[in-house]
Amino acid sequence: MLSYICKRLALTLPTLVLVSIAVFLIIRLIPGDPALVLLGEGADGAALAGVRADLGLDRPLPVQFVSWLQHALRGDLGRSIVSGEPVAGLILQRFGLTAAVVLVAVTAATLIAAAAGLTAAWRRNSALDLAVVGTATVVLAIPSFWLGLVLLLLFGLKLGWLPFVGYIPFSESAVQALLFLVMPVVTLTITESGVLTRMMRSSSIDVLQLDYVTHARAKGLSERVVLTRHVFPNAFAPTLTLVGLTLGHLLGGIAVIETVFTLPGLGRLMVDSVLARDYPVVQGCLLFTAVVYVVVNLLVDLCYPLFDPRVTAR
Amino acid sequence: MMGRVGHVGLNALVGIPLVGSLLVTIGIGLFWMPYDPIAIDLAHPLGSPGLHHWFGTDEFGRDVLSRSMLGSRISVLIALATVAVAITLGTALGLLAGYLRGWTDRLLMMMTDAVLAFPGILLALALIAVFGSSDGSIILALSTAYTPSVVRVVRATVLSIREREFIEASRSVGDSPLETIVHHILPNVLPPVVVLATSLFGWAMLSESALSFLGVGVPPPAPTWGNMLSQSRPYMDVASWLSIVPGLCIAGTLLGVNLLGDALRDWLDPRKT
Amino acid sequence: MARSSHVAHVLGTLAVSGALALGLVAWQVAAAGTVLRARFKSDIVSTSPGTRRDENTDAVLLHVVEGLVASREDGSPAPMLASRWTVSADGRIYTFTLRPDVIFHNGAPLTAAEVIWSLQRYLKPQTRWRCLAEFGEHGIARVASITAPDPHTVIITLDRAAPMFLTTLVRADCGGTGILHPDSVDADGNWRAPIGTGPYEMGEWRHNQFVELNRFARYSPLPGARDGNAGGKHALVDHIRFLIIPDSSAARAALIRGSLDILDNLAPSELTGIRGRPDLEFQQVPILDCYALLIQTRDPLLSDVRLRTAIALTIDTVGLTKAITWGTGTADNSPIPVASPFHGPVEAHLRKPDVGEARRLVRAAGYDGRAIQLVTSRRDPQMFDIAVVIQAMAAEAGIHLQIDTVDWPAHLSLYTVGNYQLMVQSFSARLDPTLSFGIFIGDKREDPRKVWDTPRSRELLGQTMASADSAARQALFDTLTRDFLAEVPAVALFNSSRLSVVRSNVTGYRNWTAAQQRLWGVGLN
Repeated sequence: MLSYICKRLALTLPTLVLVSIAVFLIIRLIPGDPALVLLGEGADGAALAGVRADLGLDRPLPVQFVSWLQHALRGDLGRSIVSGEPVAGLILQRFGLTAAVVLVAVTAATLIAAAAGLTAAWRRNSALDLAVVGTATVVLAIPSFWLGLVLLLLFGLKLGWLPFVGYIPFSESAVQALLFLVMPVVTLTITESGVLTRMMRSSSIDVLQLDYVTHARAKGLSERVVLTRHVFPNAFAPTLTLVGLTLGHLLGGIAVIETVFTLPGLGRLMVDSVLARDYPVVQGCLLFTAVVYVVVNLLVDLCYPLFDPRVTAR
Repeated sequence: MMGRVGHVGLNALVGIPLVGSLLVTIGIGLFWMPYDPIAIDLAHPLGSPGLHHWFGTDEFGRDVLSRSMLGSRISVLIALATVAVAITLGTALGLLAGYLRGWTDRLLMMMTDAVLAFPGILLALALIAVFGSSDGSIILALSTAYTPSVVRVVRATVLSIREREFIEASRSVGDSPLETIVHHILPNVLPPVVVLATSLFGWAMLSESALSFLGVGVPPPAPTWGNMLSQSRPYMDVASWLSIVPGLCIAGTLLGVNLLGDALRDWLDPRKT
Repeated sequence: MARSSHVAHVLGTLAVSGALALGLVAWQVAAAGTVLRARFKSDIVSTSPGTRRDENTDAVLLHVVEGLVASREDGSPAPMLASRWTVSADGRIYTFTLRPDVIFHNGAPLTAAEVIWSLQRYLKPQTRWRCLAEFGEHGIARVASITAPDPHTVIITLDRAAPMFLTTLVRADCGGTGILHPDSVDADGNWRAPIGTGPYEMGEWRHNQFVELNRFARYSPLPGARDGNAGGKHALVDHIRFLIIPDSSAARAALIRGSLDILDNLAPSELTGIRGRPDLEFQQVPILDCYALLIQTRDPLLSDVRLRTAIALTIDTVGLTKAITWGTGTADNSPIPVASPFHGPVEAHLRKPDVGEARRLVRAAGYDGRAIQLVTSRRDPQMFDIAVVIQAMAAEAGIHLQIDTVDWPAHLSLYTVGNYQLMVQSFSARLDPTLSFGIFIGDKREDPRKVWDTPRSRELLGQTMASADSAARQALFDTLTRDFLAEVPAVALFNSSRLSVVRSNVTGYRNWTAAQQRLWGVGLN
C-alpha cells in the first residue's frame, strides 16, 4: 500500500515540475512589472531598479527559477511582493477558508445527491423521478455567480436576513463569521448537487438492474436493506469519483464565488496576485493547488475499492 | 409510464424551444436591434424596464435588450469557436495517443495532466494577459483549458476499441494506420465526442461568462452576458434588472443546450436511459 | 456491516477535515478601550514611512511619525517637530529649532541626534526613500551637510537655493520625512517598527484584516486647530483600527450595521442606499487629484496639434464630469486642481465643446478614420467609464477610438514606457501646482511618462521651482495653463471629491484636499 502511494506520487513529480516551469514563464511573460506596481505611477528609475534588485528580479530567469525551486522543496515559498508576508502562511490561511466552504458544501451536496439520486432511480419514471431530474438539470444550467448574486439580492438586500457580502474572521465573532458563510455555502451546494444527483441516479439505475439485486430481493430481504446495503455502496462509487474530481477542482479555488461574496479565499488570492504580478504568490498557489489536486485524486482512488469490491488497487 | 422515447421527447420538448429562441434572437440581432447597443445616453441612466426600453437601460443609458441580443451573438460565437478548436485538436491528439501508445502516449498524457492540474482561472488569466483582452485570446484560453478533457475521452474510447476484431482485420488486410484510424476508429469515437461537444459548449459559455464576470473577458464596449452581469454589481440595489436579465439569458441557454445534449445522448445510446 | 462502516469512516473523515479547516482560523480576544474603526480597500504595504508605500500606508504612518515640518491644508509648510526655522539669505542654509517637549513612543526625548540619524538614513540609497531622487542629480538640490550645534538645533545645508525644499519634506509619499528613533531598526539596520513621535503608536498589523494604532499617552499636541497634517493633533480615542474591506458593498453594509464608524472614499455610484439615513452623515471634500486623457505626441498621427485639438473639442468636460462623478466632481481643464489656492480665473477657463470645429480640424489634419488606441483599466470605475464616454463623444466628430482595457500593472507599464496613443490616467493629490504640472512636463527621452516635452514648458516649470514669491509663481502658472490649453499634450478632465460617510456618533472627522484619512481630533460619543 505504502509503496503504491509512493509510486503514484513519484509519477506525478514530472507533471508538477512541468507545471511549475510553465507558470514561472507565463507569469513573467505577461506585460507588467511588480516593482512598478509596488511603487506606483510617481516612481523614478533608481527606486525601481532598487526594488527590482531587492526582489531578486534582476537575476537571469533560470537562476530565479532554480532558487525558487530550491526554497520550495524546503517548504519556503518566499514572500509576497505586495505584502511581504510569507507565501506559505498566506496560502494556508486562505486555503483554510476556501476548504471550509468547499468541504461543507460538497458534503452537503453529496448527501443530497445520494439521497435524491437513489430515490429517483428507485422510483424510476414516476413524478418524483421527473421532479428530481428536472430540478437537477435546471440547477446544472444556473451559473454559480449568478445564483450567488440573486441570493445576495434576495436575502442580503431585500429581506436583510443574512449579512451582505463580506467576511469577519472567527476572531471577531464566531456567529457572525458563520452567518457570512451561509450564502456562499448554500450557493455552492446547490450548484454542485445538480451534476452529482444525475450521476448518482444514473449509476443507481445501472446497479438496480443487476442480477444480485434481484437475488437479494428474491431472498426476501426488505427493500430498505436491499437499498442501503446492496445498492447504495456500489452505486455510490462512480459518484465518489466525481466528488473527488470536484473536490480537487474546487479546492483549487472558487474564485468566482469568492468574488461575489468577497471572501478572502484561495481563488481570490490567485486572481489578485496575477492581477498584481505578485510572482511568488502565483507560483506558490499553483504548486499548492496542483499538489492538492494530486492528493485528492489519490485519496479518491484509494477509497474506490471500499465501495466497489470488483475494483482493486492496481 | 414513460419509456425511452418519452425521455428523449421531454428533453427535446423543452430544449428545442429554448435553443430555438436563442437562435431566433441571434438571427434577428444580425439585422435589427431596438437601439444601438453601444450608444450611450448620459441623460437617462439606469432606466427601469418600460415601454421604450423593454429591459431598461444600464449606467450609461444603453439599452439592455439590444445589449443582450448582441451579447448572445458574441457569447455563442466564442463558445462555438472554443468547441470547434478543442474538439478538433483534442480528437487528433487523443487518436494519436490512443492508437500509437508508447512514448507518444506517455508524453501527451503528461502534458494533458499538466494542463488539467492548472487551475483553469489562472491559465485563462495568464493567457489573456499575455495576448491581450480580445475574442481571440479568450478562445485560445478556453480551448487550452478544455482540450485535455477531449483528449482523455477520445483516448479512452480508442483504447477500448483498438483491440477489437475489426481493427485487427483492417490491419491484416494492409490498411495504413491512417486509413484504419479514419475508416474504423473515428466513426466509433464520434458518438461520445458529439455528446462531449454539447457539454463543452455549455462549459465554454459558462467559463466565458465567469471570465467576463471577473473582469478579464471580452473588452468593452462589446457586451457579453458575463460582463453585463459584472457591471451590474454596483447598481444591484437600484437597478436589479441589470443583474437578472443577463443571468436568465445564460441560465436559459445552458438549460436548453444541456437538455438537447441529453436528448442527443439518449438517442445515440438507448441503453443509458 | 464492514462496508457501511467504511462509508461512515470516509464521510466522517470529510467532516473532521471540514472542522479542522474551520479551526485553521484562529481565535483572538479583542482590545479594551474605545475603538474607532475606519476602512481601507486594500492592505498597507509596510510600516516604514516613505519607503515601501502606497496611499493607505502613508495615511496610517502619518498618525505615527512626524517630520520637522508638516503640510497645512493649503499645501504650505508649517512647524511640527521644529517650532521655527530660518533660511539664510542665499537660500541654502536652513536652521531648525526643535520643540523641547517631544517624546518618542519608547519614552526617549527628541533631540538633534535622532533627527540627524533619521535624515541621514533617508538619504542612504539602501533605505529606498521615495524622495531620494529629489536630492540627487535631477532633483531640487543636494544636501551638503546636516549638523547640530546643540541638542535642540539642526542645520541643513543644501548645495544651492531650493524654494521647494520644505514643500518636498512635507510630502505624504515621502512619509512626511518622519523623524524616527534609531530603535526602529535592528543592529543590522533592518526595519523593525516605526518608533515616532505621533499621537498614535503602531499597534497590531494583522495582514489583510486590520491595522491597529494605539493612543500615545505622552503626546503633547501643538496649540491651535488641526490644519492639514499640521496644527494641534489630539488623540481622542484609545485605539484606531483600519479594517481592510476590499468590497465596497461589504463596507457599506458594515457601516450600516455598525461594525464600521467611518467609511472614507466611496465611489459616487455607491451613494444610493446610504444618503439620507438618519444615523449616518455624508461629507464631500474636493481633493487635489487629477483625471486626464494623456496623448502621446510622438505618435505620427497624434503629433498633429490639429487632431489633438479636435479630440479635445469633442469632449464636453462638464457633462462628462457630471455623469461620471454623479455630480460630485469638478470639471477642470487645467492641471492645477480647483481646490488649490493657485486656481485662478485663467485656470478656471473651460474649453467649450465644438463638434463642428472638431470635424473641420479633423479634415484639415487629413485623418483617414483609422482606429486610435485608447488605453484604460478597471483600476477604478471612473477611469473605465471615462474611456467609454470619450469614445462615444469623439465618434461624433468622426474620430474612431478603440478602447484597450488592460489590467493595472500593464497599464502602469504602458504609461511608464509611453507605449500608447491615448490613455486615461488618474493622478493622486499633489499639494503644490509645481508638482501638478510636473506630472506632465519633462524630457521624454529621459522620462517617457512626461507627455509635454517642449523647451518652453520645461523652462517655465524650472522658474516656478526657483521662486518663492506667490504672485510671481501665479503668473508663471497662468502662462503654463494657457500653453497647456493651446498645445493639448493632454486633456485635463476633472478633479474628484472625497466622499465619506460617518456614523452620527463620530465627532470631528473631516477628510481634506490631500485625500488622506486623518483620525486625530476624531472622537466617539
